[in-house]
Parts: sequence; structure tokens; C-alpha cells
Amino acid sequence: MRADFSIVSRRRFLRLALAAGGFLLAGGAASFALRGREARPGGLRAIGEREYRTLAQLARALFPDGGAFPPGASDVDLAGAFDAFLADEPEWNRKDLTRALVLLELGPILFEGRLRTFSRLSPEERLAHFERWGEAGLLRRQVATAFRRFFALVFYDTPAVWPHIGYDGPLVRGGTP
Amino acid sequence: MSGGVVDLSRSAAPEELSAEICVVGSGPAGATAAWDLARAGRDVVVLEEAGDYTGTALTQRDGRMYDQLYMDRGGRTTADLSVSVLQGRALGGGGVVNACDVVPIPDAVLRRWQRRFGLSGWSPEALAPFQARALADLSATRPGWDDPHVNANNRLLRRGADALGWRGELVMHNRAGCGGIGSCLVGCPLDAKRNARFVAVPGAVAAGARFLLRARAVRVEAADRELKTVRVRRLDPDGHHEVGELAVRARVVILAANAVGSAQLLVRSGIGNEHVGEHLSLQPQLPVTAVFDEEVRFFRGYPQTFGITEFERLDDEEHGWWGYRIEAISGTPGIVASILPGLGPAGKAWMSRYAHLAAVLCLLPDEPRGRIEVERSGRLRIRYALDEEQRRRFREAARSAARAFLAAGAREVLVPVVPPVSIRSEADLARLDAVTLRPASAPLLSAHQQGGVRLAPSPRDGAADPDGRVYGARDVYVFDSAGFPSSASSHTMAPIVAAAHHLAARLGARSP
Repeated sequence: MRADFSIVSRRRFLRLALAAGGFLLAGGAASFALRGREARPGGLRAIGEREYRTLAQLARALFPDGGAFPPGASDVDLAGAFDAFLADEPEWNRKDLTRALVLLELGPILFEGRLRTFSRLSPEERLAHFERWGEAGLLRRQVATAFRRFFALVFYDTPAVWPHIGYDGPLVRGGTP
Repeated sequence: MSGGVVDLSRSAAPEELSAEICVVGSGPAGATAAWDLARAGRDVVVLEEAGDYTGTALTQRDGRMYDQLYMDRGGRTTADLSVSVLQGRALGGGGVVNACDVVPIPDAVLRRWQRRFGLSGWSPEALAPFQARALADLSATRPGWDDPHVNANNRLLRRGADALGWRGELVMHNRAGCGGIGSCLVGCPLDAKRNARFVAVPGAVAAGARFLLRARAVRVEAADRELKTVRVRRLDPDGHHEVGELAVRARVVILAANAVGSAQLLVRSGIGNEHVGEHLSLQPQLPVTAVFDEEVRFFRGYPQTFGITEFERLDDEEHGWWGYRIEAISGTPGIVASILPGLGPAGKAWMSRYAHLAAVLCLLPDEPRGRIEVERSGRLRIRYALDEEQRRRFREAARSAARAFLAAGAREVLVPVVPPVSIRSEADLARLDAVTLRPASAPLLSAHQQGGVRLAPSPRDGAADPDGRVYGARDVYVFDSAGFPSSASSHTMAPIVAAAHHLAARLGARSP
């Protein structure tokens, strides 16, 4: 699937506003084969390489390596997880969320009059830009909420992260606690 | 008649089958109805779009379990993303993933249903035997404070309530043999929940009912004729894709697919009057979290068993059950992180304190004014907007929750809205006045959807009669919370089981 990077029309904005609805929380994070450190955009099922890069850059902004604990987005292929999730979604949701990714990539240009797309911002600028979406108009709040929650669910469902947050993981394996 | 459970994603499926009664949904309502009606000698087939998850198939992992055990893979929300609509999806329904709270319909609510909505046959006296059966089905017991699985989160909330002189209670539950692993919201791998999956489903199967899994009902046809056709799509083993079709012919169709699902099927089928899809109650809830110096480990033990009832009223003159409750809650890491605010390093810092977190849900009874719509494509739209009164009540509830946590010794209370509100002392409580709760700025959730096919003695006022028979159709019934004219209780599993027993008895009494 290739994204259309033409300027997003008002009509499409409204459609996007409806889009993220089927996606929030996205427990659908499910059955992802997380692919480890090296992403493989060539194996994508639902999004294109450009959308993958946008997502990967967002993931690194939201879950930077280091800080309170070492693992970060470079340890978990969050963009690949999103692609795996999206591939099993209904057609309308695949289209809408792909458009949301376009909006995210073009956000700095469309909403802040900057000359660079999201992926070309520095990591600090990316985080600050995305944080502003959380307090912006409804459409941007919806998109920000949807992506943030999806990534959070997948990232913290990763066993490598658990020791760093004091979680000892599922207790029942093979039927006994 | 030979009962059983057949997964259509893994078995050769016929293109057509017949039954006297077709039940849509295998949760507390559908399984209970199937059980009662099969025991009465009726030929029952139950359609369930989910799979069957028990034992270690319940992995305690957020990703896989939300994908499999919740509608829309855990992603169902209101159309504007204001409220996450958590609706169970499993053989056995929402009881597979709920917090095991058992709260019958209060008598005050039933009296209001009589007085305000004309449900004369739903008196406390008439419902009493069915409420008792519900409690028996669920093996309901009330835990004591000596129960080791009443975890630190619940105990801290009680400590705060006691310090402030507020009333609270340990809620009845339906666990037996609990190991305290704390994964209730993503299913119990110890099979310790006495829910529909382990009581009504096997009971119904033993009585001859047939359960078809990965069978999604998409339309009811010929609803005004004696013989109806339920159009069904077979799903793949993960329930993501439709892979085939099936038609079920039945004389009676019973909708028991949750408030949202039952109304959705009627709307999609073009059945019923203008009340179908209306009067939806979501009973929204707002999480409030706190950090303690000591480890809380709220992710072990009962996620939710103590609730502050100080601000709850059962007999409000205008609204019936009203006010708010504050109840302990916990979650596995993924779902907790998806609710907490904070991005980048700040977000990681919050989650690094996961073992020190405590949390509650502020639960608001609401007026049933939401709406369920279905687009031509089949896409569901849940319309629901908070009004200013609800926002005010949520702010008040969050303030009370914060006060309880501070009284219990919390270092910091966090209300996870955008922008987040941090409270370290009573002096900070005024910060909550600025909380707007505008759409997509707060992690509101709904676990108790009700309404959508309101029961009423006249089609002027509702979509189905007090016996659940949908107006404008012939022998199409609604047996679940879709029929409730207002919020039945703070936790709907027991009310749904009681209502299903009641309605099955009514159906049995009027049919050959």
C-alpha cells in the first residue's frame, strides 16, 4: 500500500477524524512477531516503507533508549507491530490509519508551517511536536491518542522491558502458578 | 438431542442448519438463556463469533489477549474516541475478562424501572428468585479482609477511606480456587472464574444446546415471519477475517450479544422501531493513579474488590442509581502504560514505578442517551458525548479519589488526562477544576454497556416489550443488557444473568 502524500483536504481531515475510532487502545497489538532490532520494511503487509519510517521515528521519540531504564524502541519493532496489526484490520480502518500516518508525517508542515516533515525533525523536536498534538484540535488529539496507546501497549507487553518496571511476568505456565 | 461446541474455523461447516431457537451470543445472557431453554426441552443453537479460551491458552499477555478476548481486538471506542468500549468476546462472554464483581440489581433500581419505565413485571419481588439464581450460578461470595488476595491496592484505598470516614465495601465476587495471579482482565489461566463459560455453557451443552464458535451473526431476515433466517459469517481461527457463510433457520431468535452487539444486529437488519439503537448507557469510568513509596504490586491479587460507596446513591429521585463509586483497579503493563500520560523519557519514568502504582476507577452512573449506528459498510458507530454535569461529577470523583490516596499516604496522585494533573497535597486539588475531559483527552472507558433495545410496555417508549420481544418483529427477543432502560447496577454480570433467567422463564411460559 502506498500513501498519497498530496496535501490532505478538509474532507479527508474529517474522514481522518472518524478514522482512529476503530483503533484506540488497539489491543490488536496481538500476535505480532516482533522482529527485533533490524526492521525489514520489505516484508510489510499493510503499510509502505515511508509510513514504516514515520512510525519508526515516532516510536523512537516515544520510547527513547535509556532514561529510566535501558530498553527503548530500538529493541522492539513497534512499526512492524503496527503493520502486522493493520494487515488484519477491516479495509476501512486500513485506509483511514494509513491516511493518519500521512497526516502525522506532514504534520509539521500542515499545522506549524515548518519546512520539514515529521521524520526529518530531530528526535527532541519530534517528541515536542507530537506532545503538542495531544492538546491540539480534535483530529490531532485522536491520532495522537491512537498511536500513543498502541505503541505503549506493544512496548510494555515485551518481556525484555518487564524486569525494568518491577513486573515479574505471567505467573502461570503449564497450568500451575 | 446432542449438545456440543463446534468451532467453525476448524471444522467442516454446513451451509445451512435449523433449530427452534437461535441465540446470538454466548455470554452471561445467551448461555443462561440457552441453558434454561434447553433444559425445558427446546432445540437451541447458539452463535458466538469468538473462540474458546481456557487454561494456559489465556497467556496473561496484553497483546494476544486483547486481540482475542475483546471486540474489535480491544480497539472499540465511541466515534469521537472519548470512551474506550471494552466488550468481552469469548465463549462465555464478558465474564471471561471482567473483574469478577457481583452486584445484583438494587431494589431501588427495579422500583424505579416500574415507576419510571412501566416495567411492572420487573418488581423486586418478581426478580428475587432470578437474582438468587444468578448468585447461585456465579457461586457468589464476599471476600473478607483476611483473604490474602485482597491486595495492597485495595487495602490502601480502604485505608484512605477509613481515614476520611467514608463508607466502602468489599464487593461479592465469583471466584473459586483463585491463585491471586491478578490477570482477571485478560482471562484466568487457572479457570477460577465461576462464569458462564464454566457454568451455563456446560449446563446448556449437557441439556442439548449446540454452540457454534467463530460464527458471526450479521443479519436477521424475515423477522416478521414464523421462520427467520440468521445470516452468519464463518471466521478464521483468529477471528480476524470472514471466510465463509452459513444460514441458520429458526422460529425464535434471541439477541444476547451485549447492548452494543444486539442493537447493532437489529439496526443492520432493519428490524424494529425508532428506539432501536437509542438510549445507550456506557457507565463511563475515569482512572486515577497514585505512587507510593512502598511497593504496591497492584498487578497481583484481586484487581478490584474494594469500592468507596460514600458518594453513591441508589434512590436518587430523578436518576435512580446516581452519584459515583471509586473502586480499586489494576492492570497488566501494556494496558496500564496505554492509560498513563507522559511521552518520551517522562513516560518511561512513570512506568519505571509500575510496582509502586496504585489505581482506582471513578465509575459514573449515566443517563441512557448514547446511540448505536451502523454504516452501509457495516462499520459500527457508537455516539456518546459527556455533558457538563458528567464532567463536573468526574472532577468531583477524581478529587475524592485523590483525597483517599493522599490520606492513605501516596507520594503523588496522577489524574491521567491531557495535560496530566499531578497532586501531592490537598492544596493541589484545585488543579482538577481545570480538567475539561474534552474528547480524546482522557482515558475514559466503559465496561458495562446497557440499553440500545430498551424494554417498555409500549412501542412509543421503547424497542421491545417487557418480555424482551422486539416491537415490529415476530418472536425476535432481546435478553441481555440491551433491554435495560437505565443502569441496572455498578457491575452488570449478575443483573444480566438474572434478567436472562427471568426472560427465559417468561418465554417458556408463553410458548409450547
